[in-house]
Amino acid sequence: MTAIALRPPEVVMRLQRLGAAHPTRLSFLRQLIRRAVREKWRVRKDRFDLDDKGFGRAVYAVETPARTYSLVAFSTPLDDEKRSDRVIAQAWDTSYVLYDGLPDDAEIARLEANAPLQEAGRYTRSELVLARANKSVRLFEEVAAALAQGRQPHEEQLLGVGYLLRTTAVYGNGKFGIADRDEIAARPELAGSFQAEMLTVWLIRSFTLDLVDHIAYRRNPAGAAGLAPDLRRALGVGNATGLGMAPFLVRHPLLTHSWFLARETALARVRAEPQAGAAEREVFSKALAELRRRVARWHSDDARQAAATCSLTGDLDALVENFDRLLAQPSPWDALYRFAEDHFSLEGQEACVSLILEPHGALIDELGDTMKADETPGHGIDGTMSCASLRQALLDCYSWATKVDFADPAANARFWYVSAEKLEPRLGERFEEDGAELEQPLATARDALSLAEALAGEPPSASVADFLLRRPEWRHAVRRAQIVAKFPYAEIHDNLIGADLRPVDILRAKLAFFGARSFDPRSDRWLRIALFSGEPLIEDVAAMAPAGEAA
Amino acid sequence: MIDLSLNEVETLSAKAARGGGFSWGLAEDIGRAARRIAVEDDKWGVAMLSLAENVQSFAPPDPARAARWRKGEADKPAETPLCPIRTAALLLDDPLPASALPLAIVGVGLPIWLDAMLRRSALRVARPVGPATRADVVIEHRPEIGQQPTGRRGAIDERTLAALNSFAARTYVPESERSRVRGAGGGRVDDE
Repeated sequence: MTAIALRPPEVVMRLQRLGAAHPTRLSFLRQLIRRAVREKWRVRKDRFDLDDKGFGRAVYAVETPARTYSLVAFSTPLDDEKRSDRVIAQAWDTSYVLYDGLPDDAEIARLEANAPLQEAGRYTRSELVLARANKSVRLFEEVAAALAQGRQPHEEQLLGVGYLLRTTAVYGNGKFGIADRDEIAARPELAGSFQAEMLTVWLIRSFTLDLVDHIAYRRNPAGAAGLAPDLRRALGVGNATGLGMAPFLVRHPLLTHSWFLARETALARVRAEPQAGAAEREVFSKALAELRRRVARWHSDDARQAAATCSLTGDLDALVENFDRLLAQPSPWDALYRFAEDHFSLEGQEACVSLILEPHGALIDELGDTMKADETPGHGIDGTMSCASLRQALLDCYSWATKVDFADPAANARFWYVSAEKLEPRLGERFEEDGAELEQPLATARDALSLAEALAGEPPSASVADFLLRRPEWRHAVRRAQIVAKFPYAEIHDNLIGADLRPVDILRAKLAFFGARSFDPRSDRWLRIALFSGEPLIEDVAAMAPAGEAA
Repeated sequence: MIDLSLNEVETLSAKAARGGGFSWGLAEDIGRAARRIAVEDDKWGVAMLSLAENVQSFAPPDPARAARWRKGEADKPAETPLCPIRTAALLLDDPLPASALPLAIVGVGLPIWLDAMLRRSALRVARPVGPATRADVVIEHRPEIGQQPTGRRGAIDERTLAALNSFAARTYVPESERSRVRGAGGGRVDDE
């Protein structure tokens, strides 16, 4: 077997490629599904107290081998004018917590007094995740109406949207008083990145489907139909994600590195395979067909995404025509990847990465366990390093940044800040708005170059510790430089304060690692996606064989 | 009392430290140190507030004094208390040679922070320092770096929380009409 080099960070970590990321079998929801199937998790509706209009409370208990977790769901009336995907909203159609164990009546009452308030409520260590979701109003009502009349909703319309409700926030790790990640990190079922959050969304999906069935039934007990099993399985949960999530990949460099390193290692392993077996070809072919079906339904009004989706359609057509020939070559998966690299758009190349990984669970799935990092202790600074060595490391790791001319106002056009009103990250216009003096330390390229310049004025043999004793303002940049020198996928290789920045590119990369599909940018700063569409329902996994995970 | 998660302790402390005047990088270290204090001490909030309020009244170790520490020479008192954060950062970044330990340092401001900052390293403050505003300390080698216990929370009274929030608020930018529209993406609203 010939070793294949990993795609380097200067290729992988560019914003345009991040903005073309696709979910893979290493994505977090896929990891969760595999474990649930393997361990035969069981779900039961412990409580479903909803009135005729679907308002009330429900509890879904999921039994894993070691513990029980419960989704506690509240459905409440909401005026149409108050329904917003934005974080500035103050009321939602539904709210949720993932509860550690099975809540009793008193706990449910406590949660009911808080969860519908979301950020304005207060939570305890028994809550692992806090979330809310709004109805996709028109579609939800049409589905409820059709089912109440005893008929199934129009399939293409249903799958064109892909979900009945859309989450607008899914909070974990200690937010608003819920349990710290430390408290669950040692539990195997929740140890991986965002597993508690994915479990919550998976359970919300089942609740949304049961909710629409319930409303239809109450409208017409004698004649209502239930949503057909194939439609239930096809639907996911929507999600609207905004700017607040964008700094995550920048603020968690070790975690970011671990995610990208795992995916790139997986790709290199598969490309190094000497041949493609019949079983692998078949899985690949099925995954390609399924992706083509999804892409045909992938709609976005965003001009750039619409053009990218159009190119992807062409790329996948070319893949259909060529994959038999390519997979007959020596190192077939490498041949296929190189064909994509030579002929496809970035969207097509990244889709191809996902497709190539799909048949190779036995080879790569264990890499999922490496997609995490313990960031709690903090990353120590090696102050014994000389200023000259640090400067050289900066010039090596940030050579891409030297192409940015920060004297040009366009390269400096934006600044990241935290809004006093919403306490969320925002992006300001440096030369048009106040507040740049309170800029958050997210201007990675600019700060790296400025640090290199500051180090150039130091005696070469002076230690970094001495430098930081005199210049503590550089501490964050020194720490980052030392991290990036050791963990090459820790840094996005683009200017994050330039006039041409599209934060949705960063969001998409993160969401693809979650397992998101149907990316639909609604501006340059927020987008909608779908999670779990086409994946097994959580209530079905106990009866599934481990190989039965959706391709 | 309000029960904060440790993540809330860390993020609030880092923001308050930045709002109080520490650099971003030191504020990050302070957030993590605050977490360590909160795990073992209900007074973490008071300690954090004292630190934020006194940032300007501390002095960093001067290079000549730091050089004396490394040589194992006796420390000399200074008029201004030593900044526990800047002192700890120096000791963490460039650990003292074994020959310089144990090291007596005189006049450390809020030594609880020196102790908390060093707790992730192979160094420690020899005796419990408590809530003193200024103390002489001894730095010694730590036999092993302990695992931080989990399952703890950070209790804080409302008044201290409000005071810390006001320090944190110094890092926030007030909204303008323009930023309300543009800041988070604005543009289109829900339409389906």
